[in-house]
Parts: sequence; structure tokens; C-alpha cells
Amino acid sequence: MNARIAASWALVAVPIVYGLVETIRKAATLFTG
Amino acid sequence: MAVPSFLARDRIVAKPGFSRWLIPPAALAVHLCIGQVYATSVYKTSFVERFDASQTTIGFIFSLAIVMLGLSSMVFGTWVDRNGPRAAMFTAACFWSVGLLVAALGISTGQLWLVFLGYGVIGGIGLGIGYISPVSTLIKWFPDRPGLATGMAIMGFGGGALVASPLEGRLLSAFDGAFDPAKAAASSADAHALTLMFVVLGLAYLVFMMFGALTVRVPPDGWKPDGFDPSQVKSKQLVTTASVSAHNAIRTPQFWLLWVVLFCNVTAGIGILEQASPMIQDFFRDGDTSTVTAAAAAGFVGLLSIFNMGGRFVWSSTSDVIGRKPIYALYLGGGLALYVLLATIGSTSTAVFVILAVLIISFYGGGFATVPAYLRDLFGTFQVGAIHGRLLTAWSAAGVAGPLIVNGFLDAQGEPGSLVAGDYRPALFTMVGLLAIGFVANLLVRPVADRFHEPDSTSTRERSAA
Repeated sequence: MNARIAASWALVAVPIVYGLVETIRKAATLFTG
Repeated sequence: MAVPSFLARDRIVAKPGFSRWLIPPAALAVHLCIGQVYATSVYKTSFVERFDASQTTIGFIFSLAIVMLGLSSMVFGTWVDRNGPRAAMFTAACFWSVGLLVAALGISTGQLWLVFLGYGVIGGIGLGIGYISPVSTLIKWFPDRPGLATGMAIMGFGGGALVASPLEGRLLSAFDGAFDPAKAAASSADAHALTLMFVVLGLAYLVFMMFGALTVRVPPDGWKPDGFDPSQVKSKQLVTTASVSAHNAIRTPQFWLLWVVLFCNVTAGIGILEQASPMIQDFFRDGDTSTVTAAAAAGFVGLLSIFNMGGRFVWSSTSDVIGRKPIYALYLGGGLALYVLLATIGSTSTAVFVILAVLIISFYGGGFATVPAYLRDLFGTFQVGAIHGRLLTAWSAAGVAGPLIVNGFLDAQGEPGSLVAGDYRPALFTMVGLLAIGFVANLLVRPVADRFHEPDSTSTRERSAA
């Protein structure tokens, strides 16, 4: 059951992390000009 | 309306040993997909070029989807509660995916009405059913932390835009080498690339949402988490263990007070979101130029997305500790103060402007994520999904009212590109007034009168589980 929980969370976490990284990269221009 | 047996509620009752921590990823899988509806700016210019239509016409496709979200969640809320989360998630996945594929057909053949039908109507129905599909189930699995549970799911709706926005840019540039996602407002992808992007998204979202539908389970009758004592929950102010039907809920003043609260909070948030990019440039305009570049303004929009998503999880979880009414007092009262500061000292420095704006947006997101738990407190778990669906009409109304208010005031002040911070004050102070109305409405919320409760709580539980 623990492996299934980890896999399920990973499945949704990967796209969220991708979106966060891309957005933070874009947001950084606000501070760097 | 009966559903096929493999979708039926009684087929997805959790067996002993099932972990409730599988439910949030199932819910997130659905919300991450439907959150795409807020990632339309990447291809909006391409749509304008493809259909030779105005920005307003293209913008109406997405407004229609949000209006359909509210209407379908209202109409299908009771169906979702009766048939359970798997049937709801499966149906939402089919509608959302088919909607995107019909829109792809419209793009490919150059027929705008098919895009309205596909994305706006069919997809919009998928949005509404998908949005409310996990809410009631999460609340039943997490009676001890309903704010945390719904915050995790509804955070996914905010996160959906964060994921879809860069993904769409990459897909379009992969299918059309001339498209530059970094300049999406000026760059335009061709019809072939747009069509392929919608087909890829439609199929990918179908698979992802089906994962949610296949994973989700409902708790067995009478299940409660280890160490959870329902009597402690009941001792909190405003929290009931009684049951109120959706039919009765809309006859209570509490429902309509919460409708006003949600409407005011969402309208005020949209006031920032709608104009975020031009607003930060106008606040720091000196003559014809702004000290904030277009790229920096796009970065500001990205920052708002992060705080919109984060606020949903952080504030909704916090509401489990401090209570629903106090947290809405913070969203509305705190938001009011922040809007006053934005209107008066917002133009003193970009740091001040950004800090005020991200806090306002975090309250906007928090308002969405906390409302299912507030409904659970007031009306019980019996038909909380259906009641939530009816309440979301406030979102649809705010989606129309917010832009109308902001654009109406700004149009009266002057031409785009010539506005300065002072020109925003009438719109911002209107938002202050709206937040004050919402603040008072929240203060007026009292426990629901006994006459609205279901007469027999035992039979209610049985019907709820049926």
C-alpha cells in the first residue's frame, strides 16, 4: 500500500513541480528585470 | 439517471487497509487537468489570428466555460452526490476530453462555433462536474481536517494553470517552429499546431483523469480515522453533525450569506488577476514608458499564480485550526485593508505593490479552497457536494461582474497604455466596498436552524451512502 501511495503522489507531484519550476523561472524576471 | 455498474458507488467502497492518503492524489489528478481553463493566454493571440476574431470574442469562449462550470455544478451536484466520485470523475473526464477534441475539430476546420460548443459548453460541463467530484468524498475521508483535504484538491485547480501554461508553449513551439512561447502575446501559432495541441491535451487529460476515477474510493459506512472523536468537532462553534439537504440548504440565509461572501471574495480577486500585467506597468508608468518591462510584468503574473495556488492549501489548512468564520474574516477584512494600501501606497515601490498583490491573491485562492469545509460545518456531509455545486454559481456571477467592474472604470479613465496608478483607484475602492459587504455577510453567519435539518439522521446516513 505504501508503494501505491508513493506512486500516486509522484504522478501528481511531477507535473506540479514542473509547473512550479517553469513559473518561478518566469517570475524571476520580475526581480532581475 | 443510473450509471454503469463499474462506476456505481457500492463498487468503490474501500476495503479494510485502504489508505485515505490515496484520495488527495486522485482528486488532484482531476483538478490539475481542469485547471487548464486558466492557462489560455498562451494561445489567445493564435486564436484571434486563426478565426480573425476580436480579443473579446475569443475571451468569451473561456468566460462561457466558467459560466458552464457554475451552471453544471449546480445542475449535476445532486447527481454527483448520489452516484459517487468515480462516476463523477469518469463523466467529467469524458466531457472535458471530448470538449477539447471538438474544439480541435473547430480549429482545424476554421469553425469558431465548434470551439464555443466544444471548449465552452461540453468542456465547461466537464469543468463543473470535475470541480465538485472529489469534494464530498474528501470531506468524508478527512472529517478531522476537511480544510486540509479540500485545500489539497482545489490547490490542484490553481496548479493546473501552472502546469498547462508552459506545457502549451512547448507543444505549440514543437508543432510550429515559428511560434515563440516567450512572446505568446505577440507570437501566433498556425492552425495545425493549435489543433495538435488540443488533441494532445484532450487525450493526456483523459488518461490522467481516469487515474483519478480508478483510484478514488468512498469510506465504509461509519468509518472514522484512528483517534478521531466526532464530539470534539461538534463542540466547535458553527459546526454541526446534523444533515441538511441541498434542497433545504438553498432556503437558508446561511447559504445566501456564503454566496455573497464567495461572490465578493472572487470578484475582488479577479480585479487583480484580470489586469495583472498592464496594472503593474501602469502603476510605475513615467510618461509613455514604464519602469516595469513586459517580461517583468509576465513574471508578476507567474508569481500571482504561485500565490493563488499556495493560498488555497495554506489558508484552507489554517482554517482547520482557527475556524472557518475567522479565516473568512481575514480573507475579507485583511483583503479590504490590503486593497486600501494598494490604492494609496501601492505605487511607492514595486516591492510594496508585489507584496500587497500576492497577499490579496492568496486570500482569493484561500476563499475557493475553504468554502467546501465551511459548507460541511454548516450543513453537514449529507449533500455537501450538491450544496457546493449550487454555491459555485457565485463564481460564475463574479467571473462576469469582476471584469465588467474593472474594465468599466478603466475605460472611463483613458486609453490602455496611458493609464497611471491614480486611474485604478475608483476600481480598487469599489473592490474595497465589495469586500466590506462580504465581511459583514460573513459576520452574520449563524448555525443553521433545526427546522432545516433532516428529521432522521440514521436514515439520512443510509441514503447518503446508498
